[in-house]
Amino acid sequence: MNNARKLASLAVVLPLALGLAACGGGATPTAEPGGSATAGPVEAGTLTAWAWDPTFNIYALEEAAKIYEKDHPGFKIEVAETPWDDLQTKLTTLAQSRQTDELPDIFLVQNNAFQKNVINYPDLFSDYPASGVDFSEFPQAVVDYSVVDGVNYGLPFDNGTAINALRTDVLKEAGYTVADFTDITWSDFIAKGSDVLAKTGKPLLSGQAGSSDLIMMMLQSAGASLFDAEGKPTITGNEPLLKAIDTYKQLVESGVMVEVNSWDEYIGTFVNGAVAGTINGVWILGSVQTAKDQSGLWEITNLPKLDGVSGATNFSANGGSSWAISSSANVELAADFLNSTFAGSTEFFDTILPSSGAIATWIPAGASSVYSEPQEFFGGQPVFAKVLEFAAQVPSNNTGAYYYEGRDAVSAAITKILNGTDPATALDEAQKNVEFAMQ
Amino acid sequence: MAGPLIAGRYRGSVRPFSAAGRNTQLSVTVTAGRPEPASPAGAATPRRRPGFRSEQRRNLTGWVFLIPAALLIAWMNFWPMIQAFFLSLQTGRGTRLTWAEPLWYNYARLFSDEIFLLTLQNTFVYLIIQVPIMLVLALILANLLNDRNLRFRGLWRTAIFLPCAVGLVSYSLVFRTMFANDGLINDILMGLHLIDSPVNWLGQTGTARFVIILGLLWRWTGYNMVFYLAALQNIDNATIEAARIDGAGPFKTFWYVTVPQLKPMILLTAIMSTNGTIQLFDESWNLTQGGPAYTSMTMSHYLYELSFQKNPNFGYAAALSYAILLIVAILAAIQMKVGDKRD
Repeated sequence: MNNARKLASLAVVLPLALGLAACGGGATPTAEPGGSATAGPVEAGTLTAWAWDPTFNIYALEEAAKIYEKDHPGFKIEVAETPWDDLQTKLTTLAQSRQTDELPDIFLVQNNAFQKNVINYPDLFSDYPASGVDFSEFPQAVVDYSVVDGVNYGLPFDNGTAINALRTDVLKEAGYTVADFTDITWSDFIAKGSDVLAKTGKPLLSGQAGSSDLIMMMLQSAGASLFDAEGKPTITGNEPLLKAIDTYKQLVESGVMVEVNSWDEYIGTFVNGAVAGTINGVWILGSVQTAKDQSGLWEITNLPKLDGVSGATNFSANGGSSWAISSSANVELAADFLNSTFAGSTEFFDTILPSSGAIATWIPAGASSVYSEPQEFFGGQPVFAKVLEFAAQVPSNNTGAYYYEGRDAVSAAITKILNGTDPATALDEAQKNVEFAMQ
Repeated sequence: MAGPLIAGRYRGSVRPFSAAGRNTQLSVTVTAGRPEPASPAGAATPRRRPGFRSEQRRNLTGWVFLIPAALLIAWMNFWPMIQAFFLSLQTGRGTRLTWAEPLWYNYARLFSDEIFLLTLQNTFVYLIIQVPIMLVLALILANLLNDRNLRFRGLWRTAIFLPCAVGLVSYSLVFRTMFANDGLINDILMGLHLIDSPVNWLGQTGTARFVIILGLLWRWTGYNMVFYLAALQNIDNATIEAARIDGAGPFKTFWYVTVPQLKPMILLTAIMSTNGTIQLFDESWNLTQGGPAYTSMTMSHYLYELSFQKNPNFGYAAALSYAILLIVAILAAIQMKVGDKRD
């Protein structure tokens, strides 16, 4: 062989080899020969999972696995920590490239994104076996997020019930108690909040500018949404939405609410004690409790309700997530595992609640005495029992596949309205943008 | 004479091959479509032939070196580009794609997409304001640092180049923290009594764009400066001395002697910066998240949002990426036309 030919053959083989290496890089570790559809062929009793919070949902999965293992020796769960944004990107990429065998057996999905993913990528999901999970043991509003065409694709996990958390010491300084902020309307809240601000210099709320989380919570509290039953956007002429935006505007203009620009700043406002309260999904309590020096100074209550909107309540939700079983999963094992822990074990919820604050959406778990235990951080208030009580009263809302488009369009509209644009005009524009995105 | 000498040289280099290398010569001639078998090097061989063979062999070697990279680029870059083009002719959400009707539907859609037009405008604001300032600054810095009498030259050079070694995400996050409402910048400005209340830097369109431009300047000026420094090493000092002797001041020397000789490098950096700015993503994503109300979002950020955050509309996103490609190509062509006066 001469050099030129050697080089020539190298030239042909090298890219191929590199290419194989590039393709194989992701595939080899998981896909064993034989091409069985399950992702964990090593042991019959191993499940793989994607979730994002080591102190919360990953911790819950691991505890669930311990409990399940008692009756099923040899069962194991392998959790890959995957932040939600990455998880969504991975789902999209795998679905788009049709590599569904790369999926884990189970993965956690944000409730607000559930419809979108099931509708766009039905081939990523397995539906829950007909016999098995009793979905009537979950609040309807939470189950609805993951039902598409009457089929259940998700098992609700964490509870996104909204709470109004307040600093009792600051309220006391201004002559109020948490009871004064319970079962009130937003106009009461603004009046009392302005008073607190005048007397203590502390606002009661903070939020990320350009985020419409609070508006969406207000909407859901009145059972309203940005979409009608057919999924058409209803941003223009949406009375509860106009009312919610007007309320938001008053909150910001009165100074009762301060806007910041990033999530860390938002967390910082109440951890540093600059702001004396927050309204969000109950999961925010995890961040609230990082301020150890404020232990005993917080209490929670329900949300203010919109004035003059029919069907308005003091209850809402933000966030929350549900377990999905992937299309390449060992469906039977995965469903049985989830059913006997997240939808069937009080022991399980009793374990995870005190250490991680993961509040059950599974109603029977609420009967447990652990829930009614007073919490020291919240001045001895039985916070978890309260949240369960709120959860049962949250109105259902319709997210639809275009939830994020709607939410972002409304966020942009709010920014414009706060800068002086007429609300009706800004919402018309938002409606146009959402309709355009749906074409 | 040159002719025989070269032939001799070639023959000399061929000879070591002749025993083992006969196959080569054969295969080379065959591929060249010359049926006559190669005769052993000798007086009978026409003079040009060994030269030609050698040239051919060198060509072949060249191709052999080129092929691996070329195949990889074709396969990993061009093939996906072609696929993306076909994708851009399809419409639908997720995996439910169908051919668009008419085929250019996604491209037509771009013109009626207000958010796209806004991101296009934002991107051009960054381009038009940031790139010229950056290149002029880099040019000035490079000239200052090229001064032989400057002390601690290495230190200055490193300090100015160092931002380039910082990850895009990390520097964006640092800028975001610095320009937060209770961040360093507001604290300093208030400490100096220049402002009474904190400026909401990232919450207003004008200031948010300003912060992004500032970040880009900090991150990329040093990078371009290094190109100019390298080019300055190649300028013959005699030309500058000659200008000085002829009585030209420092500015005139710089403008009429240095800059013209830097022209190819200026062209290169201009094209690279334009290209980079039009594809800007990290700063928009990490610093401002495109806000407030999309007014600081770049085209690439919008493209990402369309593909991965909203209902995945990959056909439309692919059309958008082709629009970006087209804009980059047109701008580069204009710059080459205006800037490159070779020939």
